[in-house]
Amino acid sequence: MSLKSALESGKFTVTAEVGPPKGTDIAKILHEAEALKGKVDALNVTDNQSAVMRISSMSFCKLLLDMGQEPILQMTCRDRNRIGLQSDLLGASILGIRNVLCMTGDHPNAGDHKEAKPVYDIESVQLLNIVRALNSGKDMMGNEMKGGTDYYQGAVVTPEAVPIEPQLMKFEKKVNAGAQFFQTQAIYDIEKFKGFMEFAGKFPVKILAGLVLLKSAGMANFMNKFVPGITVPQELIDELKEAGKEKALDAGIDIMARHIKQLKDEKICDGVHIMAIGAEDKVPLIMERAGLL
Amino acid sequence: MIITKKRDFKDLLENLKNYKSFFLIGCSECATLCGTGGEPELTAMKEALEAEGKTVTGTLHPKTGCQTLGTKIELKKDKEACNAADAIIVLSCGAGTQSAVEIFPDKPARFQMFDERCSLCGECVLDKTGGICPVTACPKGLLNGPCGGTDNGKCEVSPDIECAWVRIYERMKKTDQLEDFRKVLEPKDWSASRKPARLNTREKKEEKK
Repeated sequence: MSLKSALESGKFTVTAEVGPPKGTDIAKILHEAEALKGKVDALNVTDNQSAVMRISSMSFCKLLLDMGQEPILQMTCRDRNRIGLQSDLLGASILGIRNVLCMTGDHPNAGDHKEAKPVYDIESVQLLNIVRALNSGKDMMGNEMKGGTDYYQGAVVTPEAVPIEPQLMKFEKKVNAGAQFFQTQAIYDIEKFKGFMEFAGKFPVKILAGLVLLKSAGMANFMNKFVPGITVPQELIDELKEAGKEKALDAGIDIMARHIKQLKDEKICDGVHIMAIGAEDKVPLIMERAGLL
Repeated sequence: MIITKKRDFKDLLENLKNYKSFFLIGCSECATLCGTGGEPELTAMKEALEAEGKTVTGTLHPKTGCQTLGTKIELKKDKEACNAADAIIVLSCGAGTQSAVEIFPDKPARFQMFDERCSLCGECVLDKTGGICPVTACPKGLLNGPCGGTDNGKCEVSPDIECAWVRIYERMKKTDQLEDFRKVLEPKDWSASRKPARLNTREKKEEKK
């Protein structure tokens, strides 16, 4: 089933993500993807995440399609200008890719090619508008094309950004620019997330709550300190600490399973986006504990 | 030398529709040479605005508009005229405009290192972004709001950088322009900054004749 049909059927939808490696040895990512087959509804393929140069998202999306999986092409505006972005969108379309997640992209400063010239000719809101134009059979300049695309367009939002007001205004711009689904930055406080959903729920878009698997108390503290827009509450950090080093990952799996279950049972949002960050093989276990498998 | 061009007067009027009275600031440097912010242009702008039924409370032709501290001192004698104006119109480059932005919010101007204020992109958006340039102040040059890397008013690229879009949001909120914040800014026309740029001041003079 396509991501669009899954979300529109009203089913509690689960997406996860894989990050292509640096280098052509793809044994590990293939294994991860295989483990998720038939479990999740769609799989994001990151686009040079954290501005670290890796295999292109589009290539791995095509391999996923060949494996019979539903890929979501992550597309950032960091590395391509408006010609490159549109050309790649057309290229991905003829490969059979139907889901695109439009984002601005981490600055090269975060990655392993800090000297790179950042592009950002276009940014996320404008990219959504461009996808909509391509879907209608025209390029962004209004030139008629021979054959348009048929993308299900997604975007991202940070529900715990500080300050939140400009973030919500940008969310609204993204909805108006054609976003049909959102995957959020990681959330850990479901009560706070309900507040966000009170706002976001008013719009005709599907929302997948982003969840990052906590592997240790140290990781949680690191994210609180260094990752913008993510706050891990102290009681969760304590829970990981109490579990001890050996069992911290297991406690992290429990925390995520518990959150998924609450989001689903209380019908807070349309699904979840699981970011296991290197522990993709644990996703089926998380889903099992959440009662989804 | 920063080359500036006059804005379309109709666009300017559209920008100004919510305001009645203005204080005008030009610049004796580049903008005078380009014929955009010299004494004659200040006078012409004053007359054009008055012809549209607007009030001009005063004008200043500062020595170097982009030099915030100096311009601030020069403006002291015009304090009342500035206070009486609904808005400040700056007839110079983006740097001069942003000096004025710094001088006029309630916060005191402070001694600063040399900040980059204007990228000379050729298609100024300051009228739509609260007078703060995101093309320059945001490392990604974003046009439609903060990215996911914004963090308590700081930028993901460096904690020494203030998030341009949080600054813009706060200023537009203060100046009651948030309706403009909601409008989508279209992709920029980068052909306006095609290199190398050139200016022939002789052509300008001939045009006037």
